[in-house]
This record gives sequence, structure tokens and C-alpha cells, in this order.
Amino acid sequence: MFKGVLYIFLFLMLGELIVYLVNIPIAGNIFGMISIFIALRLKVIKLHEVKTTSDLFIKYMVLFFVPYGVGLMTLFDILKIHWLAIVASTIISTVLTLYITGIILQKFKKNA
Amino acid sequence: MREIYQQPLFGIFLTLVVFYLTQIISRKWKFVLCNPVLLSVVTIICFLIFFKIDFEDYNIGGQYLGFLLGPVVVSLGVLFYEKYEQIKENIIPFTSAVFIGGVLSILSVCSIAVVLNASEPVLRSLAPKSVTTPIALEIVKSIDGIPYIAAGMVIAVGIFGNAFGPSILRSLGITDKKAIGAALGTAAHGIGTARALEEGKLSGAYGGLAMCINGLLTAIITPYIIKLFL
Repeated sequence: MFKGVLYIFLFLMLGELIVYLVNIPIAGNIFGMISIFIALRLKVIKLHEVKTTSDLFIKYMVLFFVPYGVGLMTLFDILKIHWLAIVASTIISTVLTLYITGIILQKFKKNA
Repeated sequence: MREIYQQPLFGIFLTLVVFYLTQIISRKWKFVLCNPVLLSVVTIICFLIFFKIDFEDYNIGGQYLGFLLGPVVVSLGVLFYEKYEQIKENIIPFTSAVFIGGVLSILSVCSIAVVLNASEPVLRSLAPKSVTTPIALEIVKSIDGIPYIAAGMVIAVGIFGNAFGPSILRSLGITDKKAIGAALGTAAHGIGTARALEEGKLSGAYGGLAMCINGLLTAIITPYIIKLFL
């Protein structure tokens, strides 16, 4: 378990380092995610060494973003002005994304 | 009293207690709006307003919980690897579907928001609305959006997808289990994937991988797509 935590923070650090060196507008932990994926594929680290820890982090991730959701309370004014644009664009775009992704994969299956 | 709630302990403790209680409630009532995140957020906002506590005071502790989203994103890389191993042979049609769906998600939400006169910060905050919250928050920070709006909308999209996704898809003629899983994971991230899992293990695996791929893809291209709208 401790080793898993260590590995995850190691890749987090590595990701931050990459972003610092390359200077692109993408978050460090995204590169952490990519690099741990590559490390697993190249068998630099083994799945069982990190799986227990990563499953635990993912299981509780909803807890970690609760404070961000609570932050909405500071934005009631913005929401009051823009609620229609926010709600309409989000709903239409979500239905469209659902449909397009689903239909493409289903068409592929039929042709295969 | 201020001394108490200006300690980091207050925000952390309040969040833990409320989250624990809402988990019990959501297990009891299987209703979709009894989602633990939604209930926790609403409960904590009401609590803070009722006791006249500033969000900034709550967030002294809250930000420690938020910090843990960093390791969560790295953990998604591990999940990505696991699901990838399960779906390997199908990866090309799958990735194409997620890619097109993911790009369309950013383009459509931004275009509609522009047409409806949303302000620039709102636009920036909505762009990553379909990806998993930890990644969406990172994207929004890197493109100068408002993380709180992003978090709220991402959660709302997840709940929407979870509640209505499968019936919307079926009414539009999409019945393939894998397609339903991929669509839910792409459009409605983890909360949608939870629903995909109810449709079966296969849908769940497709949903999980779709969530990872779309998160990664959106993180990489959003900074460039958003420039088209500003």
C-alpha cells in the first residue's frame, strides 16, 4: 500500500517536472497519468504494486471534489445571469455527445 | 467561534461527516438525485449559509481534500491501463468513436454558449464539461476558467447522463451494450460509467476506458480549441 502511494506521488512529481521543462498549457498530473500508463505497459512497474492504492483514490474521488462543488455558492450572481446559456448548452451538447459516440461505435460493429 | 471554523480541521471534518451521511442516504434511496456528491454539496452550502460562514473559511480545510485530486488523476492512468488490456483488440473503432464524441462535446457546448451570450469565463469553464471532474478542474485552471462552475456542471452532466443516458440512447436506436458504455463514459464520465456498469460488466469496461481516453484527449486539445471561440 505504501509503495503504491509512493509510486503515485512519484509519477505526479514526474508529470509536474515534464510540464515545467516543456512549458505547455497542460496540467502536470495529466502527464503523470500518461507516464504511469506507459510505465505499466513497458512493465517498469507492475499493476499489483499500484492497484490497491489507485483503486482507493478512485473510489473516494467524489469526496475530494465536494469542496469545488461547494464553491458554487460564491458564484450565485454569475449563475443568475448565465443560467440559461449554461443549462441549454450543457444539455444539448451532452445529448449530442452521447448519440454521436454511440452511433459511431454501433455502425463500426455492424460493418465489422 | 471563528477560531474553530478557520482551522483546516473544520472544512475537512464537515465534508467527511456530511459525505458519510449522504452515502447512507444514497444507499437507502436509490433515486438518482440522491447522489452523494450532489447531496453533500447542497447540504454543505445550506449549512454554511445558515451559520453565516464564508466559503473561504470552509475552503481553508476544503482545499486539502481538493489537493488529493492530483493523485486521483494519476490513479486514472492505472485504471486506463487495466481497461486498455481488456479492450485491446477493439481499440481503433473505439478510440475513433470517443475521439469524435469528445471533440464534438467541446465544440458544441462552446458554440451554443457563444450563441446564447455566455461570458468568456463561463465559456472557458464549460469546455471540459464531459470529462471526469479531477481532469476537468485541471483543464479549467490551465485555460483560466472558473473551477467552481466547472465542478458544478461536470457533476450535473454526470447525473444527467446517469439518469437519462441509457433511455436517450435507446430512443435514438442505440442498443449495442458496448456503444452504450462508450457513449456514457465519453459524455458523462465516472457518474455515467456507474450507470454503464449497471448495464453489464462489458458496458462498464467500455465506459471506464472511454472516460479515461476522453479525459486525456480533452486535456490535450481544449487549450487549442478554446482559442477558436475567443
